[in-house]
Amino acid sequence: MAMMPSGTSGNPYDSLNNTQIEQDLIDPDDANINDLDDPTEPTSDRAPLTGNIQNSRNPLPQSYLNSSIPGEDRRAPQNTIDESVWDTLSRDVMAVWEKMRQVLWPKYLLGGFLQRGGGLGGAERGEGDSLAGGFRGIAGRWPDADVVLQGGMSEGLRDWDLWGPLVFCLLLSLLLSMTASSEQKTVVFSGVFALVWVGEAVVTAQIKLLGGNISFFQSVCIIGYTLFPLVVAALLSAVHLPMIARIPVYIVLIGWSLAAGISILGGSGVVKNRVGIAVYPLFVFYVGLGCLCFIS
Amino acid sequence: MANRGYDVVVDVDDHEGDLGHTDLQEDLEFHSSNFNDTQSSKITPDSTYQPPSSTSGSSKRYLWTLSFYAQFFAVDTSHVLHRCFSALVPRRPFLDILDGNPDLYGPFWIATTVVFILFLTGTISQYLASHHDQAFIYNFKLLSGAAGLIYGYTAIVPIALWGLLKWFGSGNAPGESSIGLVESWALYGYANVIWIPVALISWSPISVLNYVFVAVGFTVSAVFLTRNLWPVVSVTEAKVSRILVIGVVVAHAGLAIAIKFLFFA
Repeated sequence: MAMMPSGTSGNPYDSLNNTQIEQDLIDPDDANINDLDDPTEPTSDRAPLTGNIQNSRNPLPQSYLNSSIPGEDRRAPQNTIDESVWDTLSRDVMAVWEKMRQVLWPKYLLGGFLQRGGGLGGAERGEGDSLAGGFRGIAGRWPDADVVLQGGMSEGLRDWDLWGPLVFCLLLSLLLSMTASSEQKTVVFSGVFALVWVGEAVVTAQIKLLGGNISFFQSVCIIGYTLFPLVVAALLSAVHLPMIARIPVYIVLIGWSLAAGISILGGSGVVKNRVGIAVYPLFVFYVGLGCLCFIS
Repeated sequence: MANRGYDVVVDVDDHEGDLGHTDLQEDLEFHSSNFNDTQSSKITPDSTYQPPSSTSGSSKRYLWTLSFYAQFFAVDTSHVLHRCFSALVPRRPFLDILDGNPDLYGPFWIATTVVFILFLTGTISQYLASHHDQAFIYNFKLLSGAAGLIYGYTAIVPIALWGLLKWFGSGNAPGESSIGLVESWALYGYANVIWIPVALISWSPISVLNYVFVAVGFTVSAVFLTRNLWPVVSVTEAKVSRILVIGVVVAHAGLAIAIKFLFFA
């Protein structure tokens, strides 16, 4: 009995309960009818929204690789609802093309190494003034571990997609299965398909295990895009290029793929002593697929 | 004097919220001199706390994290090359070269290399043996066969050997020159190095030459295996150790014969 009164009168929160909260409460009965929105009236909250959409029907944002709204669809302008289907498709196709160009264009090969060195043109414009001098300049700048590690990837590759890997993997499987023997077409198709995906995953996991700090799917994306030269090789095999002609052409194509694929090591944080064994899985992957194209 | 000091203490107290030093008069100088750079005094405790927590986080390795498996790949390029070379030209015991740091990089990628080279040269060998009046079509099953043979042999036989050594070696001195599972894998994996040059040169249609090459490959890798396994196996009873070594050699002969007749027939 002696302790109970503190619950009713001595409670310090009672004053809060009684006075302040009561004032802050919004009673629906107090609301004025004029404060509420009239849905039928045009001057409601919707008016600026409509205006927004109309404003955004203007041309594409600065770079179509970047959305003006962060977190939205990465390449879409603000409205996709009233554009033609062809626009939607071509935007994705163009994005795939742009990524492929960034992976495979010689300017970006070896992590932009050729660009920094002045590239082929810079070597040819050099003091030698001859083709031999240009080649010697390139050979002299053959990348070592430092160059491989310094190279970064271009900005457009930061947001990965798996469209390119899927398309090139399917094309490679299809072209290789066309030249296989008639009872092994399905085996070759599924085998190559699995080989590509498992190979991409294993190579990426191996680089991560060696201490490389790379994003898994970004690496899979880049390796998938670098399959393009091998798709060309498979296409040449499908049209029955003679064996003798295949040897130099395929070596060049495999080297192209490898030089592009090494760029995933750029800025990955692999220790310099381990660059050799981090590149070797990529080498085995490309050479293995290249051999498969060769004997098809 | 005391009154003035008291005011200063209250002032510092408001800003730093440090109640522990307010009751000590001799702390006054320290606090007022520290007052200007409160930012640095707040950062230092954080930086001293960080290292212990990070080291304790990395020392805990869970089976499902990638960092757990990274310990099996803690090798440099020079290590791998040195191990490959010493598997071809054995001078010191291989377990000494491993030096308590067996890696799985070598076994996996050597096996992968052998698989692709066997597939390629096996196909070339079939191409040379085929009749040239019709178009040659390669056999894709050769690749899956090579993968099954090499990966299977390199993965399963070391497990069996390790298990048998655990079983029979348990009666003897525990821990005495026993072989770990990863070491066992590394030993078998690096023993595969010899198949790379052997497979590279035995695509020719000359049958006698292929027998010689495969026999050389078998001899080198079998000698490598028995030499390095003998100190480990011999801790068991004499009869058991002899049977184990014979089993290892017979299994390896099986691999060599399979390579010869599947790919270079």
